[in-house]
Amino acid sequence: MVNFTIDEVRGMMDKKTNIRNMSVIAHVDHGKSTLTDSLVSKAGIIAQSKAGEMRFTDTRKDEQERCITIKSTAITMYFELSESDVQLVKGAEQINKEKTRGFLINLIDSPGHVDFSSEVTAALRVTDGALVVVDAVSGVCVQTETVLRQAIAERIKPILFMNKMDRALLELQLQQEDLYQTFARISESINVIIATYSDEQGPMGDIKIDPSKGNCGFGSGLHGWAFTLKQFAEMYAAKFGIDLEKLMNRLWGENFYNPKTKKWSKQKTSADEMRSFNFFVLDPLYKIFDAVMNFKKEETDKLLQKLNIELKLEDKEKEGKHLLRIILQKWLPAGEVLFQMITLHLPSPATAQKYRMEMLYEGPHDDEAAVAIKNCDPEGPLMMYISKMVPTSDKGRFYAFGRVFSGKVQTGQKVRIMGPNYVPGKKDDLYEKSIQRTVLMMGRNTEAIEDVPSGNICGLVGVDQFLVKTGTISTFKDAHNLKVMKFSVSPVVRVAVEPKNPADLPKLVEGLKRLAKSDPMVQCIIEESGEHIIAGAGELHLEICLKDLEEDHACIPIKTSDPVVSYRETVSETSSEICLSKSPNKHNRLYMSATPMPDGLAEDIDSGEISAKQEFKARGRILADKYGYDVGEARKIWCFGPDVEGPNILMDVTKGVQYLNEIKDSVIAGFQWSTKEGVLCEENCRGIRFNVHDVTLHADAIHRGGGQIIPTARRCFYACVLTAAPRLMEPVYLVEIQCPEAAVGGIYGVLNRRRGHVIEENQVVGTPMFVVKAYLPVNESFGFTADLRSNTGGQAFPQCVFDHWQILPGDPLEANSKPSQVVATTRKRKGLKEGIPDLSNYLDKL
Amino acid sequence: MLYLIGLGLGEVEDIGVRGLRIAKAAKRVYFEMYTSLLHGPNGGIPQLEALLGRSVIPADREVLEEKAADILEGALTDDVAVLVVGDPMAATTHSDLILRAREWNIAVEIIHNASIISAVGCTGLQVYRFGAVVSICFWTDDWRPRSFCHHIKENLKRGLHTLCLLDIRVREPDMKALMRGRKEYEPARFMTVAQAASQLVEILTTAAEDEPQENDKDCFSVDTLCIGLARVGLSTEKLVAGPLKSLVDVELGGPLHSLIVCGPLHPLEHDFVKQFALDSASFSSQ
Repeated sequence: MVNFTIDEVRGMMDKKTNIRNMSVIAHVDHGKSTLTDSLVSKAGIIAQSKAGEMRFTDTRKDEQERCITIKSTAITMYFELSESDVQLVKGAEQINKEKTRGFLINLIDSPGHVDFSSEVTAALRVTDGALVVVDAVSGVCVQTETVLRQAIAERIKPILFMNKMDRALLELQLQQEDLYQTFARISESINVIIATYSDEQGPMGDIKIDPSKGNCGFGSGLHGWAFTLKQFAEMYAAKFGIDLEKLMNRLWGENFYNPKTKKWSKQKTSADEMRSFNFFVLDPLYKIFDAVMNFKKEETDKLLQKLNIELKLEDKEKEGKHLLRIILQKWLPAGEVLFQMITLHLPSPATAQKYRMEMLYEGPHDDEAAVAIKNCDPEGPLMMYISKMVPTSDKGRFYAFGRVFSGKVQTGQKVRIMGPNYVPGKKDDLYEKSIQRTVLMMGRNTEAIEDVPSGNICGLVGVDQFLVKTGTISTFKDAHNLKVMKFSVSPVVRVAVEPKNPADLPKLVEGLKRLAKSDPMVQCIIEESGEHIIAGAGELHLEICLKDLEEDHACIPIKTSDPVVSYRETVSETSSEICLSKSPNKHNRLYMSATPMPDGLAEDIDSGEISAKQEFKARGRILADKYGYDVGEARKIWCFGPDVEGPNILMDVTKGVQYLNEIKDSVIAGFQWSTKEGVLCEENCRGIRFNVHDVTLHADAIHRGGGQIIPTARRCFYACVLTAAPRLMEPVYLVEIQCPEAAVGGIYGVLNRRRGHVIEENQVVGTPMFVVKAYLPVNESFGFTADLRSNTGGQAFPQCVFDHWQILPGDPLEANSKPSQVVATTRKRKGLKEGIPDLSNYLDKL
Repeated sequence: MLYLIGLGLGEVEDIGVRGLRIAKAAKRVYFEMYTSLLHGPNGGIPQLEALLGRSVIPADREVLEEKAADILEGALTDDVAVLVVGDPMAATTHSDLILRAREWNIAVEIIHNASIISAVGCTGLQVYRFGAVVSICFWTDDWRPRSFCHHIKENLKRGLHTLCLLDIRVREPDMKALMRGRKEYEPARFMTVAQAASQLVEILTTAAEDEPQENDKDCFSVDTLCIGLARVGLSTEKLVAGPLKSLVDVELGGPLHSLIVCGPLHPLEHDFVKQFALDSASFSSQ
């Protein structure tokens, strides 16, 4: 069935203007995978009759069974634009008109459930455009916003598709004007999100959705039909003798047509005037629906004749939905329309990499690698980003999946494999190895390919053992890393696992390593107590990870603990004294204090608004203007932590200390250490500002090395936290629940029992559905979905997204308070000494 | 009672008669082995035990700094001796132990011995004409202190020689492993004259961005006369003198090494140092 060969595909790969790398993103159950089928069938890989049923990109058995996408899947497709459409492609970077009308389309279908949004992040990184799918019935949902925001942050250009029109017509029986209003509302909400997170003057230009431009499609993925205004404008353009683009403009928005006078107007002044979209677009569709669904055989035949649709004999026998589907597929085939949208409105790598380079590359923006990325130059040095690992049929091995941004990657090539911790000029996290094979990823299959030039997506064999999850592959000796991806969710839910049979422990350890590779976000940690911890984004994510671990990666029966959440350690006051700690040789003394950050600063650091990489003067200005920090002090931030970018800062407020620079790195190392493993129960710290007030140093550098200063700095930081009213923070979900009005009461009951509170309750316009938004501590969310279903007769469906950290009320230092119990159980789990260590362990006297 | 007994320069037998008597009689004997080392295999422990006719407790940094209370507890009731290579008070390291012993009301007696600080006389340089002693430490990738160079310049400006003690790292905890919650030790290392000289050369030839521009460039340069010392006080003692840059590839054999940066020489000093000159022909002209 495959209607193109690897050689043809390889030939296409060299034409970087005729490539489109795109991902399909949406809220869960809005029909991404189903819609993707239409494209795959158009490209000839699956039969058109099966399109919409097969979920080609759901390659895993559990994905098929649950009808939910878990892993993102890539496929490569080929599409040829018609002669007339070629003229509509704008810009020399977007098509090579002389040579070919064919396009190579690399599509990644991504999961919609929030728990798997790390997969979306990984997909977005390697693509340049995104098809945002929105269910026309439920409208823009929380995950739609999350993924769209991520896309814009990565400089991915969106196009919109309003799916499930069949439901709007058949189930909700919406009137034409109501349906138009629904569409208008959806595109409006999408544009609000776009406007919030992008800048019209930005390098991507105006990326708003405008149906009259043709970058917004309508249709039904399940039934395999779709259209944009372009399709209808084409039908009428000849008849009216109006230019295509002009007509498209008239088919949307406040444009009205009077069929009696055959006049257009901008305002509805009489009953004869109809909204042009309703009259020209919806009306014919409604007529077909009406004729077929109400079994008006003659009328159907008449319509078919008008539309020039010929049915096969066996199809003519069919009735109702089946017939409707066949007619609409013939008239408005989804694949063709979607491919047109993709090729006409999404950027080619040549276009996109121009403005994406500065977001992608960590090195100087004018070095050899940066220039090659910018120009998408296949002759430049190889720069490839590995965004995820895909399991192979060979157990325990993975394809390293990613995008070639410049140069060519080929079988047998010797490359530098740089992990996320690689620092140019050093040797950490760097390997020089040969690539065993390069492969093309085709949904369920892979195809070997000799080499892959810039602008394309492919898989590599033989790289997996050198990278944990992601990394940069290069041939350029001085190459810096391509930026590490920033996930919108964090692994806040964790479980401990152990093998049922203790002798299987080595298999479990090996299995955990594989699991860590196979998922972009999951964290596998070994606690000091020897416990193996798996941390994931939510309950579903963990469930899938555990199943994979048991069935695929470790292949042994495992025991799982109850899920627990991660906490953060913070302070609520300024340290009661300036804390002093002495080095082991007693010759060096550090004086420091801790104080809580102002509200919002930790979040700004999380989002990268304020970061370690900023220019220190600019950063100082923001800190001074927004948070009232002293400018002089704000410029003297030594570092962020944990992991150099976390939401705690270390500030130098000393005055005239000689040789302070010689101990700076040691103090920073101690800071990284103690913000990663806080004093209360070795959880990460959050929202603490530490001040270095003064230091007394030994006269001789040899007596103030790392061995003396690092442990001392750590003790001092611990003393600072203990004297600053330490608190625990717990993660909180934003829950969005869709349900009928009758179920709302049940939702309140469940939320109240679980320390949740409702922040918003709205009716979805045009439907009887309600949307309830609430905050719910993650710790209370286990079993929430099941609880909610049983209390609402199965009518309420929650989506939980991590939203923020919130202080757990109570003093952890006070016995029997809630936080002290959490500290006690956490310490026990981690195998730490019982009880928070006494202040005297860390604070020294003069 | 707590005794701090100096062992002298390096041979086991350099210990004095009084020190030997006390060490033999004491209830417990610690052998401090991270500021310096005795000559011989395994830090000299076997020879030391043979000479004393008893076992000694090897004490690294951790024992003396973090577990000092154990030592002091023993000294409350019994005689405890801490053996230190060189002179016990020549380095700052043990002053804290004595201060804490005083807090515990433990009597302390110090038995002095020769130290490199006095033994530098072997170079013929006058001990009166030495300035502050500095230590040169091993650089790591991200810790490259330069302050010792500044101290050397201060000495030179006042016309004084500088004795540079060179880093020794025996059983130093590996900080990276420590932060991962494990206790591991770095392999033992001793800085050679060549390593010290090359670190100094690097400081003198590259500018640090955070140091103020000093206008004393001329007082210390790669041509300044320096003396490399190896195993002072032992039969295998070796001394070489020459411009700093020439010591970068000098090979002086096993530990321990020291380095002297010479100030302006007195004629007598000049004649004495000339004996060790790497290149005596060019030395005369200095």
